[in-house]
Amino acid sequence: MIPINAVFVFGLLIFFIGLFGVLFRKNLVIMLMSLELLLNGVNILLAGLSHQLRSPRGSIFAIFVILMAVSEAAVGFGLVLSYFRQKKTYDMDEFNELKG
Amino acid sequence: MIARLIFYFFAVLAVVSSLFVVTRKNAMHSVMYLAFTVLSVAGIFFSLQAEYLGAIQILVYGGGIVVLYIFVIIIVNLSEIKPERRKLLPRIFIFALPALLFFLILDVLLVNRPAPPSGPEAGLTFPAFAEMLFSTYLVPFEIASILLLAVLIGAILVARKRLLHDSD
Repeated sequence: MIPINAVFVFGLLIFFIGLFGVLFRKNLVIMLMSLELLLNGVNILLAGLSHQLRSPRGSIFAIFVILMAVSEAAVGFGLVLSYFRQKKTYDMDEFNELKG
Repeated sequence: MIARLIFYFFAVLAVVSSLFVVTRKNAMHSVMYLAFTVLSVAGIFFSLQAEYLGAIQILVYGGGIVVLYIFVIIIVNLSEIKPERRKLLPRIFIFALPALLFFLILDVLLVNRPAPPSGPEAGLTFPAFAEMLFSTYLVPFEIASILLLAVLIGAILVARKRLLHDSD
Protein backbone atom coordinates (compact mmCIF):
# COMPACT_ATOMS: atom_id res chain seq x y z
CA MET A 1 0.00 0.00 0.00
CA ILE A 2 1.52 3.27 -1.11
CA PRO A 3 0.98 6.06 1.43
CA ILE A 4 -1.44 8.67 0.13
CA ASN A 5 0.80 11.47 1.43
CA ALA A 6 3.61 10.42 -0.92
CA VAL A 7 1.20 10.45 -3.84
CA PHE A 8 -0.04 13.89 -2.85
CA VAL A 9 3.47 15.33 -2.54
CA PHE A 10 4.52 13.83 -5.86
CA GLY A 11 1.42 15.05 -7.70
CA LEU A 12 1.85 18.52 -6.22
CA LEU A 13 5.50 18.59 -7.34
CA ILE A 14 4.61 17.70 -10.93
CA PHE A 15 1.73 20.20 -10.91
CA PHE A 16 3.93 23.02 -9.65
CA ILE A 17 6.73 22.26 -12.09
CA GLY A 18 4.13 22.53 -14.85
CA LEU A 19 2.77 25.76 -13.38
CA PHE A 20 6.31 27.12 -13.27
CA GLY A 21 6.72 26.30 -16.96
CA VAL A 22 3.43 27.95 -17.93
CA LEU A 23 4.24 31.12 -16.03
CA PHE A 24 7.93 31.57 -16.81
CA ARG A 25 8.58 30.20 -20.27
CA LYS A 26 7.79 32.36 -23.27
CA ASN A 27 8.03 29.62 -25.87
CA LEU A 28 4.47 28.65 -26.84
CA VAL A 29 5.29 24.98 -27.51
CA ILE A 30 7.00 24.55 -24.15
CA MET A 31 4.05 26.27 -22.47
CA LEU A 32 1.74 23.65 -24.03
CA MET A 33 4.07 20.92 -22.74
CA SER A 34 3.84 22.41 -19.28
CA LEU A 35 0.04 22.25 -19.57
CA GLU A 36 0.41 18.52 -20.15
CA LEU A 37 2.49 18.35 -16.98
CA LEU A 38 -0.27 20.15 -15.05
CA LEU A 39 -2.87 17.66 -16.22
CA ASN A 40 -0.53 14.76 -15.44
CA GLY A 41 -0.15 16.00 -11.88
CA VAL A 42 -3.91 16.06 -11.46
CA ASN A 43 -4.16 12.56 -12.91
CA ILE A 44 -1.62 11.28 -10.39
CA LEU A 45 -3.73 12.68 -7.53
CA LEU A 46 -6.87 11.10 -8.99
CA ALA A 47 -5.20 7.70 -9.42
CA GLY A 48 -3.76 7.90 -5.90
CA LEU A 49 -7.14 8.69 -4.36
CA SER A 50 -8.71 5.91 -6.40
CA HIS A 51 -6.10 3.54 -4.98
CA GLN A 52 -6.67 4.82 -1.45
CA LEU A 53 -10.46 4.58 -1.53
CA ARG A 54 -10.51 1.23 -3.43
CA SER A 55 -12.85 2.76 -5.98
CA PRO A 56 -12.58 3.02 -9.78
CA ARG A 57 -14.15 6.48 -9.83
CA GLY A 58 -10.82 8.30 -9.70
CA SER A 59 -9.45 6.30 -12.62
CA ILE A 60 -12.58 6.99 -14.67
CA PHE A 61 -12.28 10.70 -14.02
CA ALA A 62 -8.60 10.56 -14.96
CA ILE A 63 -9.57 8.93 -18.27
CA PHE A 64 -11.79 11.92 -18.99
CA VAL A 65 -8.97 14.27 -18.03
CA ILE A 66 -6.65 12.50 -20.50
CA LEU A 67 -9.29 12.81 -23.19
CA MET A 68 -9.57 16.52 -22.52
CA ALA A 69 -5.78 16.85 -22.63
CA VAL A 70 -5.70 15.24 -26.06
CA SER A 71 -8.40 17.57 -27.38
CA GLU A 72 -6.60 20.56 -25.94
CA ALA A 73 -3.30 19.49 -27.53
CA ALA A 74 -4.88 18.99 -30.97
CA VAL A 75 -6.72 22.32 -31.06
CA GLY A 76 -3.81 24.10 -29.41
CA PHE A 77 -1.43 22.90 -32.09
CA GLY A 78 -3.81 23.97 -34.81
CA LEU A 79 -3.83 27.44 -33.32
CA VAL A 80 -0.05 27.46 -32.87
CA LEU A 81 0.51 26.45 -36.49
CA SER A 82 -1.87 29.04 -37.92
CA TYR A 83 -0.34 31.71 -35.69
CA PHE A 84 3.19 30.71 -36.62
CA ARG A 85 2.36 31.13 -40.31
CA GLN A 86 1.68 34.80 -39.68
CA LYS A 87 4.23 35.82 -37.06
CA LYS A 88 7.16 33.39 -37.49
CA THR A 89 7.68 33.25 -33.76
CA TYR A 90 6.69 31.23 -30.71
CA ASP A 91 7.41 34.09 -28.32
CA MET A 92 4.42 34.95 -26.14
CA ASP A 93 5.65 38.54 -25.74
CA GLU A 94 4.98 39.07 -29.45
CA PHE A 95 1.27 38.34 -28.97
CA ASN A 96 0.34 41.99 -28.63
CA GLU A 97 -2.06 42.74 -31.48
CA LEU A 98 -4.89 43.56 -29.07
CA LYS A 99 -2.78 45.94 -26.98
CA GLY A 100 -4.66 49.23 -26.60
CA MET B 1 6.94 -3.15 -0.51
CA ILE B 2 7.93 -3.73 -4.14
CA ALA B 3 5.07 -1.49 -5.32
CA ARG B 4 6.32 1.22 -3.00
CA LEU B 5 9.88 0.94 -4.33
CA ILE B 6 8.60 1.10 -7.91
CA PHE B 7 6.50 4.13 -7.01
CA TYR B 8 9.44 6.04 -5.50
CA PHE B 9 11.73 5.11 -8.39
CA PHE B 10 9.33 6.40 -11.03
CA ALA B 11 8.42 9.42 -8.90
CA VAL B 12 12.02 10.60 -8.73
CA LEU B 13 12.45 9.90 -12.43
CA ALA B 14 9.31 11.85 -13.35
CA VAL B 15 10.13 14.87 -11.18
CA VAL B 16 13.69 15.16 -12.51
CA SER B 17 12.69 14.79 -16.14
CA SER B 18 9.77 17.21 -15.81
CA LEU B 19 12.19 19.76 -14.34
CA PHE B 20 14.23 19.30 -17.52
CA VAL B 21 11.08 19.80 -19.63
CA VAL B 22 10.55 23.32 -18.33
CA THR B 23 14.19 24.37 -18.19
CA ARG B 24 15.67 23.24 -21.53
CA LYS B 25 16.18 25.95 -24.14
CA ASN B 26 15.80 23.65 -27.14
CA ALA B 27 12.17 22.63 -27.68
CA MET B 28 13.19 19.25 -29.13
CA HIS B 29 15.09 18.36 -25.95
CA SER B 30 12.02 19.34 -23.96
CA VAL B 31 9.87 16.97 -26.01
CA MET B 32 12.25 14.09 -25.33
CA TYR B 33 12.14 14.78 -21.59
CA LEU B 34 8.34 15.07 -21.82
CA ALA B 35 8.24 11.55 -23.32
CA PHE B 36 10.38 10.36 -20.42
CA THR B 37 8.07 12.06 -17.93
CA VAL B 38 4.82 10.64 -19.30
CA LEU B 39 6.26 7.12 -19.41
CA SER B 40 7.40 7.47 -15.79
CA VAL B 41 3.92 8.66 -14.86
CA ALA B 42 2.54 5.57 -16.61
CA GLY B 43 4.80 3.49 -14.35
CA ILE B 44 3.33 5.30 -11.36
CA PHE B 45 -0.18 4.48 -12.54
CA PHE B 46 0.82 0.82 -12.74
CA SER B 47 2.21 0.92 -9.20
CA LEU B 48 -1.07 2.52 -8.05
CA GLN B 49 -3.01 -0.43 -9.52
CA ALA B 50 -4.58 1.73 -12.24
CA GLU B 51 -3.48 -0.56 -15.06
CA TYR B 52 -5.95 0.72 -17.64
CA LEU B 53 -4.93 4.29 -16.91
CA GLY B 54 -1.26 3.39 -17.33
CA ALA B 55 -1.90 1.66 -20.65
CA ILE B 56 -3.92 4.64 -21.90
CA GLN B 57 -1.16 6.97 -20.71
CA ILE B 58 1.44 5.07 -22.74
CA LEU B 59 -0.80 4.86 -25.83
CA VAL B 60 -2.17 8.39 -25.83
CA TYR B 61 0.70 10.40 -24.40
CA GLY B 62 3.70 8.33 -25.39
CA GLY B 63 2.32 7.38 -28.78
CA GLY B 64 0.12 10.33 -29.65
CA ILE B 65 0.83 13.62 -27.98
CA VAL B 66 4.63 13.37 -27.95
CA VAL B 67 4.65 12.52 -31.67
CA LEU B 68 2.31 15.45 -32.28
CA TYR B 69 4.75 17.79 -30.51
CA ILE B 70 7.65 16.43 -32.53
CA PHE B 71 5.74 16.95 -35.78
CA VAL B 72 4.85 20.53 -34.91
CA ILE B 73 8.46 21.35 -34.06
CA ILE B 74 9.64 19.73 -37.31
CA ILE B 75 6.98 21.43 -39.48
CA VAL B 76 8.01 24.91 -38.44
CA ASN B 77 11.58 25.57 -39.40
CA LEU B 78 13.56 25.91 -36.20
CA SER B 79 16.00 28.38 -37.70
CA GLU B 80 13.12 30.82 -38.30
CA ILE B 81 12.37 31.07 -34.62
CA LYS B 82 13.66 34.15 -32.91
CA PRO B 83 15.54 33.62 -29.63
CA GLU B 84 13.45 33.62 -26.52
CA ARG B 85 13.09 36.86 -24.62
CA ARG B 86 11.88 37.16 -21.05
CA LYS B 87 11.00 40.77 -20.58
CA LEU B 88 7.55 40.19 -19.16
CA LEU B 89 8.75 37.83 -16.41
CA PRO B 90 6.24 38.07 -13.56
CA ARG B 91 8.67 38.43 -10.69
CA ILE B 92 6.21 37.93 -7.87
CA PHE B 93 5.69 34.33 -8.94
CA ILE B 94 9.35 33.52 -8.30
CA PHE B 95 8.64 33.77 -4.59
CA ALA B 96 4.92 33.03 -4.51
CA LEU B 97 5.04 29.66 -6.29
CA PRO B 98 7.66 27.89 -4.14
CA ALA B 99 6.08 29.32 -1.00
CA LEU B 100 2.66 28.00 -2.00
CA LEU B 101 4.13 24.60 -2.87
CA PHE B 102 5.99 24.48 0.45
CA PHE B 103 2.86 25.26 2.45
CA LEU B 104 0.76 22.73 0.54
CA ILE B 105 3.35 19.98 1.10
CA LEU B 106 3.62 20.95 4.77
CA ASP B 107 -0.17 20.76 5.00
CA VAL B 108 -0.23 17.32 3.43
CA LEU B 109 2.55 15.95 5.61
CA LEU B 110 1.76 17.48 9.00
CA VAL B 111 -2.02 17.79 9.29
CA ASN B 112 -3.60 14.55 10.34
CA ARG B 113 -6.90 13.99 8.63
CA PRO B 114 -9.31 11.23 9.58
CA ALA B 115 -9.39 8.38 7.12
CA PRO B 116 -12.28 8.67 4.68
CA PRO B 117 -15.13 6.24 5.24
CA SER B 118 -14.75 3.22 3.01
CA GLY B 119 -18.21 2.59 1.66
CA PRO B 120 -19.33 -0.43 -0.30
CA GLU B 121 -17.22 0.48 -3.30
CA ALA B 122 -16.62 -1.79 -6.23
CA GLY B 123 -12.88 -2.31 -5.79
CA LEU B 124 -10.08 -1.75 -8.25
CA THR B 125 -10.63 -4.71 -10.55
CA PHE B 126 -10.91 -4.17 -14.25
CA PRO B 127 -14.52 -5.47 -14.61
CA ALA B 128 -15.63 -3.09 -11.85
CA PHE B 129 -13.95 -0.22 -13.68
CA ALA B 130 -15.63 -1.09 -16.99
CA GLU B 131 -19.02 -1.65 -15.37
CA MET B 132 -18.95 1.73 -13.66
CA LEU B 133 -17.70 3.50 -16.79
CA PHE B 134 -20.49 2.11 -18.95
CA SER B 135 -23.33 2.44 -16.46
CA THR B 136 -22.87 5.35 -14.05
CA TYR B 137 -20.68 7.41 -16.38
CA LEU B 138 -22.29 6.48 -19.68
CA VAL B 139 -23.58 9.97 -20.48
CA PRO B 140 -20.18 11.71 -20.00
CA PHE B 141 -18.64 8.93 -22.08
CA GLU B 142 -20.99 9.63 -24.99
CA ILE B 143 -20.53 13.39 -24.64
CA ALA B 144 -16.77 12.76 -24.82
CA SER B 145 -17.22 11.20 -28.24
CA ILE B 146 -19.02 14.34 -29.42
CA LEU B 147 -16.13 16.40 -28.04
CA LEU B 148 -13.64 14.30 -29.99
CA LEU B 149 -15.62 14.75 -33.20
CA ALA B 150 -15.73 18.51 -32.65
CA VAL B 151 -11.99 18.55 -31.99
CA LEU B 152 -11.33 16.56 -35.16
CA ILE B 153 -13.23 19.06 -37.29
CA GLY B 154 -12.06 22.14 -35.38
CA ALA B 155 -8.37 21.29 -35.45
CA ILE B 156 -8.44 20.74 -39.22
CA LEU B 157 -10.35 23.99 -39.77
CA VAL B 158 -8.02 26.01 -37.57
CA ALA B 159 -4.78 24.57 -38.93
CA ARG B 160 -5.51 24.61 -42.66
CA LYS B 161 -3.65 27.04 -44.84
CA ARG B 162 -6.45 28.83 -46.67
CA LEU B 163 -9.09 30.80 -44.84
CA LEU B 164 -12.72 29.76 -45.21
CA HIS B 165 -13.84 32.71 -47.31
CA ASP B 166 -11.04 32.35 -49.83
CA SER B 167 -12.24 31.04 -53.16
CA ASP B 168 -10.62 27.77 -53.97
